[in-house]
Amino acid sequence: MSERQNVLEIRDVAVHFGGRGGLLGKAGPVIKAVNGVDLDIARGETVALVGESGCGKSTLSNTIVGLQAPISGSVRISGDEVVGANRRQLNDIRRKVQMIFQDPALSLDPRSTVGATIGEPLIARGVAKGKALRERVATLLQQVGLRPEHADRYPHQFSGGQRQRVVIARALALEPDLLICDEPVSALDVSVRAQILNLLVALQKRTGVSYLFVSHDLGVVRHICDRVVVMYLGRFVEMADRDTFFANPKHPYTKALMSAVPEADPEVQRAKQRFILSGELPSPSNIPSGCAFHTRCPLATEICSRERPELTPRADGARVACHHA
Amino acid sequence: MDAAANPLLTVDRLTIDIGGANVVDDISFTVAPGKVMALVGESGCGKSLTSYAMLGLLPPAARRTAGRIMLENTDLAALSERQFRKARGKDISIIFQEPSASLDPLTTVGSQIAEAYRAHHGVSKAEAYEKARQMLVDVGIPDPARRLDQYPFELSGGMCQRIMISIALICGPRVLVADEPTTALDVTIQAQILDLMKKLVADRGTAIVLITHDMGVVADIADDVAVMYAGRIAEIAPVHDLFRQPKHPYTALLLASVPKLDDAPKADLATIEGTVPTPNEFGVGCRFTERCPLATDKCRTEQPPLFDCGGSHRSACWHIDRMAEIREVAA
Ligand SMILES: Nc1ncnc2c1ncn2[C@@H]1O[C@H](COP(=O)(O)OP(=O)(O)OP(=O)(O)O)[C@@H](O)[C@H]1O
Ligand SMILES: Nc1ncnc2c1ncn2[C@@H]1O[C@H](COP(=O)(O)OP(=O)(O)OP(=O)(O)O)[C@@H](O)[C@H]1O
Ligand code: SF4
Ligand code: SF4
Ligand SMILES: [Mg+2]
Ligand SMILES: [Mg+2]
Repeated sequence: MSERQNVLEIRDVAVHFGGRGGLLGKAGPVIKAVNGVDLDIARGETVALVGESGCGKSTLSNTIVGLQAPISGSVRISGDEVVGANRRQLNDIRRKVQMIFQDPALSLDPRSTVGATIGEPLIARGVAKGKALRERVATLLQQVGLRPEHADRYPHQFSGGQRQRVVIARALALEPDLLICDEPVSALDVSVRAQILNLLVALQKRTGVSYLFVSHDLGVVRHICDRVVVMYLGRFVEMADRDTFFANPKHPYTKALMSAVPEADPEVQRAKQRFILSGELPSPSNIPSGCAFHTRCPLATEICSRERPELTPRADGARVACHHA
Repeated sequence: MDAAANPLLTVDRLTIDIGGANVVDDISFTVAPGKVMALVGESGCGKSLTSYAMLGLLPPAARRTAGRIMLENTDLAALSERQFRKARGKDISIIFQEPSASLDPLTTVGSQIAEAYRAHHGVSKAEAYEKARQMLVDVGIPDPARRLDQYPFELSGGMCQRIMISIALICGPRVLVADEPTTALDVTIQAQILDLMKKLVADRGTAIVLITHDMGVVADIADDVAVMYAGRIAEIAPVHDLFRQPKHPYTALLLASVPKLDDAPKADLATIEGTVPTPNEFGVGCRFTERCPLATDKCRTEQPPLFDCGGSHRSACWHIDRMAEIREVAA
């Protein structure tokens, strides 16, 4: 066995919605949000998950933290199985995996002080109280670049970036092994975004926490991650190390994504080779046959609509699901 | 071509007051036909108010206290609401950030586009529908005849944004104001919409005022850029000059805080300490003072005017000669 210590091991996970007697007893269409997903994340590693709106990123994130039950497959956090866990087991597992969301305003209770918000998971699990609790909260505030006296303030007294720091402090309270970051900086201004990214990197260096970093911003992804996974209509279509991924993207969808992200440099951006996709993401309740990308793929041939390509390893270590890449 | 040579739209010293604060303060820029002027800056810096003023759509709390908005020889800011209704759509149009919020949920998209056309043209419904159908072809919507009969909720975000664009363009306005037109969209759809806008500019000579906070979008499509900070223009320049040689500390730091191709992974990004001042915190000096690594006493007490830096590059900073120091901070 390898030395690699995985904090997350996902095997063949599928998450579907609907289907079983929808409204008025009629069976609605089955939405296949996630299918056949395998993923490992090592201790201290950052894996980025990218893909278009509706491709299943949040559904997969929710499944990892046990908020969403998959119809099949296994999710292990530091060895403990999430799927089928009872409430008490889930409670234990949630100490090891935490999640932060895009909009800090929505994840904070406006009526609770920041100190109460950050301390809540510590109290709920009986980890600390009284003076020890106050000290722990003060340390957490400092870790995320806020001051201990901020504990007495309310969320509305903070800027968006500061609120996201509070959310991160709360997520770190129980010293999780894995932090799922679902678009953590998308709602923030550019200059504030840089502060939060620096904070996430610094925290990882100090604590060894792993990140699953959901984002559609490939510039941010390139900056922060060790490995990248691309998702299309519920399936992984490419996964590779950061350098391999950005130097040599292989899947036509990955290439389209890369060419669509505008580079913040007019010379680079205007010289860039364009590969603009036509059409839009098909509905996950009606996934195209064979390779799900064939309806938009410029390289598609007859086999593509017939046979679904599996993720296969390439010479440089990348894994790609495409008949022609 | 120099935008100043033959401007179609001239915003001249526009100032907008909300509750006693100049939330838009002395903004001037020009746009020539077939050119894209980008307004960039952080949340709350006054980009949307500036664009609403151009359309006569300021919220009740806001008041224009000075300045003109010239569309060739007409001062839009002086129009009555009735006169403005004539100009809107025909001379100048706007698309908003949230397409779903600006479309009528209870009306088919076909009749929304057709009505926009009929507002300025005395034609039959059937003729207007045919115009609408052609418009959908132009904005790249497949199967337009079917789409015309659909309601907004039946369409994706990218599709709704194209409908918004169709409504904005059906009467062939000469100026299009686009307030974060792609922010809510996926990057692949954003690329399609930006291409569509480039085509408009090239084919019809439309002048575009594009509001965004995405430096990538600016780099992709803008000819000129005005960087706004706390209601004022910090720097305004042709796009290549601005990116290559920023002359304002705020612009330089903003650009440095965006992760770039050749950055080392996980290296510290440049940041701007502190936060943007709220309108009641605007001092008498430069509004960037509290966060600026170059700030001096002069900055605190005197507002810098826009200094000419050659070409059409201008920067509102007392210490342009010390920009090399910023490049060190940012590196
Ligand atoms: N509770 C639910 N019931 C039914 N369908 C759902 C549910 N949650 C998600 N879906 C559907 O599953 C698909 C995947 O959604 P998901 O939220 O995971 O996408 P995403 O990749 O996170 O998108 P975004 O980038 O917009 O956040 C979508 O088609 C969505 O409409
Ligand atoms: N209707 C209103 N009432 C009171 N204040 C307002 C109103 N609209 C805008 N403001 C204030 O005016 C300033 C400029 O707002 P504006 O919407 O133009 O910013 P913006 O640059 O478009 O920001 P964003 O990037 O968040 O859209 C802000 O301080 C804002 O809080
Ligand atoms: S399998 Fe075919 S359709 Fe799918 S990405 Fe590859 S070439 Fe395109
Ligand atoms: S005027 Fe002074 S405070 Fe303002 S940007 Fe220039 S150096 Fe900084
Ligand atoms: Mg999501
Ligand atoms: Mg705005």
